Amino acid sequence: MSNDSSSGAESGPGASSSRRRFVKAVGVAGAVGLAGCQDGAGPGADTGTGDGTGGDGGGGGTVEMAMPSNVTDRAEDTRQALYDAGLSEDIEVSFLSTSEISGDVQAQYRSWLNAGRETPDVFRMDSGWTIPFVVRDQLVNLSERLSDDALSMLDEHYFEAPLESARAPAQAVGGGGGDTDTGTGMGGGPRGELYGVPWQVGFPTIQYRKDLVTDAGFDPEGESWATEPMTWQRFSEVISETHGNADVEYGFNWQGTDYVGLSCCTFNEFMTTWGGAYFGGRDTLFGPVGDRPVTVDEEPVHQALAMVRTLIHGSDDEYALDGYQQISPNAVLEWTEGTSLSPFTNGNAVALRYWPSGIFEAATAFEESGDLSPDDLGTMPIPYAVSQDESEYEGIGGTASALGGWHLTVNPNSPNVDAAVQVIEATMQQSFRTFQFSELGYLTGDQRLFDPENVGDVDPWGPHLETLQVAGENAIPRPVTVVWPDQSSQIASRVNAVLAQQQAPEEAMSALAGSLEEIEQSV
Amino acid sequence: MATSDEHGRGRVRSAAVAPANWTERLSEQGFAYLLLVPTLLLVSTMALWPLVSTFEMSLRADALFSAEYVGEFVAFENYAELLTGQRNAILGSPFLDFGQPFQSALTVTLIYVAIAVTLETVIGFGQALVLDQSFRGRRWVRVAILIPWAVPIAIQGLIFWLFFQPGIGVGTDLLQGLGVFSSNPLINTTDTLIIVIVADVWKTSAFMALLILAGLQSVDRSLYDVAKVAGASKIQQFRYITFPLVLPALLVALLFRTIQSMRVYGIIETTGGCSTLPSLTCMVVSTFRSGRYATSAAVAFITAGIVALVALVYIVKFADLEVGA
Repeated sequence: MSNDSSSGAESGPGASSSRRRFVKAVGVAGAVGLAGCQDGAGPGADTGTGDGTGGDGGGGGTVEMAMPSNVTDRAEDTRQALYDAGLSEDIEVSFLSTSEISGDVQAQYRSWLNAGRETPDVFRMDSGWTIPFVVRDQLVNLSERLSDDALSMLDEHYFEAPLESARAPAQAVGGGGGDTDTGTGMGGGPRGELYGVPWQVGFPTIQYRKDLVTDAGFDPEGESWATEPMTWQRFSEVISETHGNADVEYGFNWQGTDYVGLSCCTFNEFMTTWGGAYFGGRDTLFGPVGDRPVTVDEEPVHQALAMVRTLIHGSDDEYALDGYQQISPNAVLEWTEGTSLSPFTNGNAVALRYWPSGIFEAATAFEESGDLSPDDLGTMPIPYAVSQDESEYEGIGGTASALGGWHLTVNPNSPNVDAAVQVIEATMQQSFRTFQFSELGYLTGDQRLFDPENVGDVDPWGPHLETLQVAGENAIPRPVTVVWPDQSSQIASRVNAVLAQQQAPEEAMSALAGSLEEIEQSV
Repeated sequence: MATSDEHGRGRVRSAAVAPANWTERLSEQGFAYLLLVPTLLLVSTMALWPLVSTFEMSLRADALFSAEYVGEFVAFENYAELLTGQRNAILGSPFLDFGQPFQSALTVTLIYVAIAVTLETVIGFGQALVLDQSFRGRRWVRVAILIPWAVPIAIQGLIFWLFFQPGIGVGTDLLQGLGVFSSNPLINTTDTLIIVIVADVWKTSAFMALLILAGLQSVDRSLYDVAKVAGASKIQQFRYITFPLVLPALLVALLFRTIQSMRVYGIIETTGGCSTLPSLTCMVVSTFRSGRYATSAAVAFITAGIVALVALVYIVKFADLEVGA
């Protein structure tokens, strides 16, 4: 009955008053809601300037740095190291934790900078994608901001390759003729100006089992393997012989799957050490896009591909080179960093091409294994096939290590640019670089920290610093431009297909050259 | 003066009363619609605004050299170049190329959808028929069937990636030995397509089973008693009772799964990667990551259009069923 009564009320006379009350109630609630919105905006509006500049800047002397978790986890120590390096204590330093994944960090920064966000004041940017931000005028020109002392220090003591990847490119796109591309809207600031200071560098080396090669009859120290690069042919013979003499599963491990690391780094090294290049010599690495030669369909690149196929598939491969041995497992075609590293740290591979972090990982693993010791770990520069003199392109050939690492750059929207620049100058001081090296485990771009006399015998880096120094002096940056992400994926796919014997080297490189040229002309 | 004030007050009163009187005169249905208007406006804005915004972006040029997201207005140039293959170099793989069905994003997506959804439907239907029976331990069987559905895509991808990773999993050696796979399946397009389909079927059949089971449990059991009395075989019972009555639920399940499958990305990225097996969503993501936001918007809009077309087929079929009923 009650149900009947209720439903009767919905359709009976009572419904009129219900509707009237409901409409009135909604009207009042809506009015209150709107008023609430206006009130809510009131106090906040007092603090903003209304012109999008964000009020008073939040205290002037605070500098926020975007950093990965291994720094933010040690925020207090890092902050103190900055003050110890001479940073004014009036400047408060805070840290914003960012992703560990480079691509995610890049997307995040692009989003922030496109939106004109004022913080973080200092970005940690991958050397592999700093230049596109420079080209888009989204970073502070540090050549105009850093002190003369700081600029001299960079010129005198820092590796050249990391600095090159932080400068405005000679010309972002083809067709310009002046000293600056700013006016065209297509090329960032004045040519050669510095927009980032190296924070951390990474130069791959060959890490190998010194005990196994010694057992096989080789003499790494007598032949100065640590500082004098050997040829790929000799390297393949050494690894092949050692592998045959040792009870380990793999010979030479590296990263060859279809991913950005193949184009930027692993294959870049194979190709450069054969005297080949993606876009001519070093002077056209960073542009001008659309007005530089595409040089992948040339003999040195074909030879590099043929050699790598021989390393994986041996003399049975249709394109095998004479004198080279089969030393890498087929699995390298699916390996990235993690999967290639673990067999080596487990003591199950003779050699590994890896970033400096692999030295730390392997030395630690060897020490913990009981069977091995950190002294069993040897390092050598990446081998080569042709010398620089034999290469057609300037600065190409000989040993080459792909450039990895990160820069510090400054947000142009920051209200604290001066303070941010002071923080960056503090990071360049010897005491802070030593803190980075010994406490955070970072190799920095300052060459003085690669001299054991300056840093002492810091575990586990000490025995490997000379090799890293050679690698740093011969670092080859990836050809970073705004179209590099598109080109990088094309290169990785084609190269991986060739190495997997799915395509012939010449046919694949001819198609790749066409695609790269098409991308060059797309801007 | 007083008369003028009273007149003014009267006008205000009548202006306030008029909407109330108007609502009084509305029918029940009309009043219901009136109450729904704010919600409909809100939902329409939330659903349509991103679509309109994406479409507007897709009509502009990429802005690689500027701090802006997109460049000047280029009308339908992005669409024309995508569909005619002029952007293939930028996309990494062809957008549409019937000559390379396993390398072209649209054909790869359609092949994946057709095979995965068909297998999931058949397996899901079978699982639902089993679960619809009363037997001891049915609860545990239901849990077992549902577990893969609860696994996050990243973990699901990792499981299959590890299974086929050289030196770690046994999948490659096993299937290479049987002549099914190449020595490096995760860099081979056909092998990766098979792995992705199997991974998807493993996870998502349970979803189909659940929706179909809901349809099965709504079937009146007395119909089967009548059918038995009439001498109908099990197959006839399925054909003339079960399937027609479950079909509406099946169509809803197919609609959901097809739309979801058309947007496949996560399982590809976590196994072979988008460069090995390009899908439509892979292209949206890769162009977005390259900073080609206008191209990315155009690919996204074309993808949405294709998904809408596929969905329309189901919706028309569903409407036919309702009319028939």
